[in-house]
Amino acid sequence: MKITTMLFVSEFEELWFDALQSLMELRKAGLNHVVFLHVIPRDRVAMKRGSGYLKQEERKLREIADIRFIDWAETLFEEGMEVGAHIAIGNVVPKILSVAEIEKVDLIVTARTKKGKLEEIFLGSETSDLIRRTEKPVLLYNYHSQAERAGENPFERLLLAIDWSVSSEKVLDFVFSMKEAVKRVEIVHVLSEKQIGKLSKMEAHKVERESKKRLDDVCDTFVQERVDARPHLYIGDTEEQIQRGASEHRATMIVLGTRQASAWKEKWSGSISHSLAEKSELPLLIVPAGGK
Amino acid sequence: MAKKVLNVEDDPDIRTFVATVLEEHGYIPIMAKDGEEGAKKVKEEKPDLIILDILMPKESGIKMYHELRKDASLQSIPVVMLSGVSKRTFLRSQAALTEFGDETVPEPEAYLEKPVEAEDLAEVLKKILD
Repeated sequence: MKITTMLFVSEFEELWFDALQSLMELRKAGLNHVVFLHVIPRDRVAMKRGSGYLKQEERKLREIADIRFIDWAETLFEEGMEVGAHIAIGNVVPKILSVAEIEKVDLIVTARTKKGKLEEIFLGSETSDLIRRTEKPVLLYNYHSQAERAGENPFERLLLAIDWSVSSEKVLDFVFSMKEAVKRVEIVHVLSEKQIGKLSKMEAHKVERESKKRLDDVCDTFVQERVDARPHLYIGDTEEQIQRGASEHRATMIVLGTRQASAWKEKWSGSISHSLAEKSELPLLIVPAGGK
Repeated sequence: MAKKVLNVEDDPDIRTFVATVLEEHGYIPIMAKDGEEGAKKVKEEKPDLIILDILMPKESGIKMYHELRKDASLQSIPVVMLSGVSKRTFLRSQAALTEFGDETVPEPEAYLEKPVEAEDLAEVLKKILD
């Protein structure tokens, strides 16, 4: 799978052109088409008592988005890129899914939308909803850490979290497909304390040895492709260890797979990808296992 | 016989504006809402002129223009660019496409930056078509 077309979803408040420019490293891996999407929330222009549908407000918001996209597009056009734009009114996630389908994108880039705690408990976050519903890889910039990191090339030092599942294989395939844009990969596998605690010392050592061997094998495949790769085996809470590993090795992005669980199951059992999507300060690339 | 003008434009308000100008001056308007539909309609309708926007869904006017000019059966159709994208960017983007091995294409017959007055658009059309 090659990343040739990227959907860049911007609400303008949290995802700006410097973030987009930092993604231009993907041109080395085949990116040649960027599609912009801005979704105007329906309640900004919807019927209000006494004033009806706010057509004038809609025109104004469309114009603001259009001017911004033209400004961004001019730079990309001059670099020989193909650029498209969609400005829509409605709910963000269905619009992203629909444009991703129409434009046949290979990657969705968006920022985590900030909502109130209560709103998230009762409505769920749009980010989680998107990750659950899409079959496309999603690169997520986080709202509060955006300002400091926006210009940094997120593909420079990846932390790849793998658990030997089908979704991990997809993650590896996806990272291989963009290897030209990647400088270094830290490959992390986390054994849970619970899992190890149940084993005898001998058995635990065996599991550790096997895991290290598998990690080394994965590293070798990267090294063969001229990508610097290092294995890391951790024991503990998976989410915590991934975050710690990312910080220790100064990763510029965390990459992991996701299994498409139902919203209900996910809410009660938790999911590492969804949880990291909410908490990670670093850009997070989530690759779905595929198939709903 | 009235001449056919294809307008490729994603903004419905501008499509309505262009259609009105075309009808008022005796041309037959044909509308397409993105580059992909535009490319299809050019082949189906063989218009006498194309008014082309740049930043659109599916296929940009930059790409569509380049393809039109490379197609021997369509390259003689005059094109008026009507866009918020500057002419300088348009020319640079066409040059950038040639850097990737594509052939150089001639400039469009006219380049109008939005917003455009009805009279200005009509005058450009008249100059090219009549």
